[in-house]
Amino acid sequence: MYISEFKYHKPDTLKEAIHLFNTQDDAAILAGGTDLLVEIKKGLRHHKNIISITSIDELKFIKEENHHIIIGAGVIHNDIIFSPLILSKLPALADALSKVGSDQVRNAGTIGGNLCTGAACCDSAPLLIALDASIEIVGASGIRVLPLKDFFVFNKIVKLSKGEILTKVIIPIPEAGTGLHYEKFGLREAAAVSVVSVAVMVLIKNNQCVNASVVIGAVAPTPLISGKATCLIIGKTVQELTLPSEILDQAGDAAADDSIPIDDIRGGAKYRKQILSVLTKRAIEKAVASSK
Amino acid sequence: MKKIINIDVNGNHYEVAIKPNITLLDFLREELKLTGTKKGCELGDCGACTIIMDGKAVNSCLVLAIEADGKKIETIEGLANGDELHPIQSAFIEKGGIQCGYCTPGMIMRTKSILDNNPNPTTEEIKKQLSGNLCRCTGYTKIIEAVETAKDYLNGVTPKELEFMPQKSAMNLSVVGKRLAKIDSPDKSTGRALFTDDISLPNMLYGKLLLSTKAHANLLSVDTSEALKLPGVKAIMTGADVPDATWGTSPARYDEYILAKGKVRYVGDVIAAVAAVDEETCYKALELIKVEYKELPAVFDPIEAMKDGAPRLFADKYENNINTHVDHHFGDIEKGFAEADYIREERFEGNRTYQNPMEPHCSIAEWDRHGKVTLYTSTQVVHYVHHQLARILNILQGNVRVIMTNVGGGFGAKAATTTIEIMSIFLARKTGQAVKMRFSREEMYLYGRGRHKQIIDLKIGVKKDGTITAVKQQAILEGGAYSSFGIVSTYYAGSMLATLYKFPNYKYDGYRVNTNLPPCGAFRGHGCPHPRFAFESLLTLIANDIGMDSIDIRLKNAMEPNYHTCNDLDINSCELTACIEKVRENSGWNEKKGKLPKGRGIGIGCGGFVSGAGYPIYRSKFPHSSAIIKIQEDGSKAVLLIGDADIGQGSDTVLAMAACEALGISFNRINVISADSDITPIGFGAYSSRVTLMGGNASKMAGEDIKTQLLPIAASMLHCDVNTIDAKENRFYIKENPEKYVHWEDVAFEFFSKKGPLVGRGHYSPPEGLGGSYKGAAVGTSPAYSFSATICEVDVDMETGKVKVLNFWDAHDCGTAVNPLLVEGQAEGAVLMGMSEVLYENEVFDKDGKMLNADLHNYIIATTADMPEIHSTIVDSFEPAGPYGAKEVGEGATLPILGALANAIADAIGARIYKLPITPQRVLEAINELKEKNN
Repeated sequence: MYISEFKYHKPDTLKEAIHLFNTQDDAAILAGGTDLLVEIKKGLRHHKNIISITSIDELKFIKEENHHIIIGAGVIHNDIIFSPLILSKLPALADALSKVGSDQVRNAGTIGGNLCTGAACCDSAPLLIALDASIEIVGASGIRVLPLKDFFVFNKIVKLSKGEILTKVIIPIPEAGTGLHYEKFGLREAAAVSVVSVAVMVLIKNNQCVNASVVIGAVAPTPLISGKATCLIIGKTVQELTLPSEILDQAGDAAADDSIPIDDIRGGAKYRKQILSVLTKRAIEKAVASSK
Repeated sequence: MKKIINIDVNGNHYEVAIKPNITLLDFLREELKLTGTKKGCELGDCGACTIIMDGKAVNSCLVLAIEADGKKIETIEGLANGDELHPIQSAFIEKGGIQCGYCTPGMIMRTKSILDNNPNPTTEEIKKQLSGNLCRCTGYTKIIEAVETAKDYLNGVTPKELEFMPQKSAMNLSVVGKRLAKIDSPDKSTGRALFTDDISLPNMLYGKLLLSTKAHANLLSVDTSEALKLPGVKAIMTGADVPDATWGTSPARYDEYILAKGKVRYVGDVIAAVAAVDEETCYKALELIKVEYKELPAVFDPIEAMKDGAPRLFADKYENNINTHVDHHFGDIEKGFAEADYIREERFEGNRTYQNPMEPHCSIAEWDRHGKVTLYTSTQVVHYVHHQLARILNILQGNVRVIMTNVGGGFGAKAATTTIEIMSIFLARKTGQAVKMRFSREEMYLYGRGRHKQIIDLKIGVKKDGTITAVKQQAILEGGAYSSFGIVSTYYAGSMLATLYKFPNYKYDGYRVNTNLPPCGAFRGHGCPHPRFAFESLLTLIANDIGMDSIDIRLKNAMEPNYHTCNDLDINSCELTACIEKVRENSGWNEKKGKLPKGRGIGIGCGGFVSGAGYPIYRSKFPHSSAIIKIQEDGSKAVLLIGDADIGQGSDTVLAMAACEALGISFNRINVISADSDITPIGFGAYSSRVTLMGGNASKMAGEDIKTQLLPIAASMLHCDVNTIDAKENRFYIKENPEKYVHWEDVAFEFFSKKGPLVGRGHYSPPEGLGGSYKGAAVGTSPAYSFSATICEVDVDMETGKVKVLNFWDAHDCGTAVNPLLVEGQAEGAVLMGMSEVLYENEVFDKDGKMLNADLHNYIIATTADMPEIHSTIVDSFEPAGPYGAKEVGEGATLPILGALANAIADAIGARIYKLPITPQRVLEAINELKEKNN
């Protein structure tokens, strides 16, 4: 295999990158390369122009601002995972991102790249969606902010218009009493593609779940909020959300109900629904437990 | 257009103009000639290309070189401080963390980055963080030990000494039986060891193959005209340009053309070959070759393929696509089943798995003007390649030189001649330049020769006390498009069942069936793992049915020494009972069996293999192994010249140890040159677990030959009778008075001065007349057989079906372990590979025969994060046919794993899974089915 020829651009600023992306014919953004280069090598895509955004410092920051954590799209996974700010404010995100690929992949691949690849089995999206994260997208015509949950259109298709670059991930810092958990099921213990994944956010006040979000991954063309499972657990007590529990059984089944999985080499649709139900229960329980 | 980058590699600054589309990996390897960083998968899945960039470990195959502009790169070449190895390198060498060495540079660089960031990781952290680096040889156990030891070294802590009890048979030996580091491991730890792809010859071209995109089609035309116009293309060859000779592995089934002639039989069949100035140009040329196909109906399922009217792969042979049929009947099956008190029959199904050595195949051919071609190649079998090439080229063997470089694992994938070996030679002849050809990972899967998937109907009859009275097996082997090793695989699938347990009546029906898929061949345990999986599973089912302990039923029937099996195989040494007792004790079986909580299970399996096939692949009277030992003129060192192949398993080390023991010198006084057809005498190579026994006997004999020549000289120097002296530990000494001695090298020097070159010769052939006289009786014969037993403990998630393997306790009868460190390495590697095959591995094809998981991303193998605890032991044993009592371990150790793991899972969930791989989905389906049945 080989990498088809392209013209290489390496802008230092976002502005320059946007300009290039809007003027160069058949261009692709290289963020970390761990997906893009694989697809080019496999002959699945070719680009005349490749715009590397790896030396744009504006895209490489993790900061806290107005009760939000803001992560530049160009930050590699491991820099998020080991960031003191993330470890203190959002340890569940560090845990979720540690399930992306291998360490070598996490040292090259970026959060922006992971989201823009738009894979249904993407490991970073479910928890971010559960956290109600938004993304900032910059294009020639300006800046827009979009809830991450609305970003994914279909497997490997995202809502980016021509010439737009994802620049930031904006995550509200969870209020006290929030519990978070990301549960992933892969066929081996590491460097595995998710067969099913579930991210759960619960807000527990006075022993009761007052807000929640259950997001399911790899069981639909995009990561998906399971409305049914989310509704089911809001208003329930911590005891009701601790295994064994009928409510959790129902929530698991509800999530499965909301899923539209496919058969592939990693597992059949029926099997995916079954374990989604199990993983959902477990993720909710763990999220609830972590809220203490 | 090229761009200039500034890059610091290992402290050296480079300002280089490069093309933007080359990876950092190719830049390091091709431009800077830093070939220590290896190319294993090219897609970021294997970690062999791991380097450290600005302090972070990355896969250099997924970094554009141009992106490394301004960065600081550390590669394996920069790790040692001059001649002084880095503590991580020393630890990998000492602990046996290096076998083939292909994953080693990446593994060591990853270890460095782990320890740079955290000087004190826990074992669990190490296992998690190393999981992006795949190894197929070691089973990771010794790698983890090496990382722990390196951690100690770097923290100034003295690593824990290992307690080691030598075997009885090695007590009085001075080299054999010692835990010595592999002779090639220092070079492999530094990236200096050359694999074929690390070699570039001046003015060398690259070659690539055009593979069929159709599963079954007539080739109407192959138009190369556009491709030939592409600048940089030097030659293109199609079926019309190569001889009409067919080739293959077994002479009775030479059914492959070098390049397709008129027809393609699977997606991956080879249509054309191109040579060009670089690989990129080759790929572009391939895209320009126009192939016109007329598609034919294809068949992918062996049972469908056997039916009347199914599409035929070969019109002129293999009726009903049955490529091989075996019909064996030993004893009296009717009588045997009539005598049984209990009979059970079940159908089992294996999986189609691939060896996945970490090194992709690579060959470089170069002709000289004297009509001779030299081939550097990654092969397990220099002699068979040599033989096959001379045959295909129709030239004398003397005009072909085959040199095996370091080989990055084989497991059977490199056990026969390949298309790139042949085509690199044809292209080199046509262009007058050296030509290098290598497989990508995808091309490895498509070239195939992995494990046949077998569908097995097995029936066993037993008496009330568990004594086996009769066994009946039918095996259907899904063979793929061509024969490869298939005839032998089909015979092995039957013959080896009879070597482990004593039973007098046995019927075997074997069918190998052609399908429009990549050809299957010989994969570790050749033909035997699926039948053994079926047998061990059924034996445990029967034990449960008749209320007997699974260990007791095995002990009841266990093979014993000096036994003649029902299919005329002669077992010499056999310590199967000791192996079973050992694992029973080590695992705490009696305390655990039947007493574990739901979801937790324990199971046993046994296995064993030949220590070398009793007969060669083609009819020949050559010795199976031969050795020459040449002593340096000053007597300081011996050089062992041996035709057998070290593919990572450590045969150079083991054979040198046998030679040293015979010579009476220490291990630091020997060098080895192996597997070079011009220099080393014939050896059949590394397959059928033959090298330790056969190569070992040849090496020992060559050493003894030298000692015999030196004894009279030493006797005269010591002024005593020849019969009163012996040699050991670099001295010739008087047996009655060891204090009276002369130095070994002085005796050798004296010999030279008086008689000239000091050379010893040794050879080995198995005893004549092994096996019975029926058709196929040769397959399964061997001078000796290994035995092993394994107990496996698992934890199953009853809600998702996921299996976590906790422990393997394995015990091996490998005769005298020539090097126990390497024996453990073989056993641990076999355990993990077996586990990986059972739980994860399977080749999947779409309805058109295109493989859906021809990479290491979708065809997954076990990582460090999946590894169980492996507790390996070696039992006391002595094999009279082996050198110093040694026999095989590498393949035999694979065989018990499948059944042991399947039995443990069945014990955990209360239901049996008859199909491999045992995926979480299949486990959960079995649990659900059981629940429904109980409701």
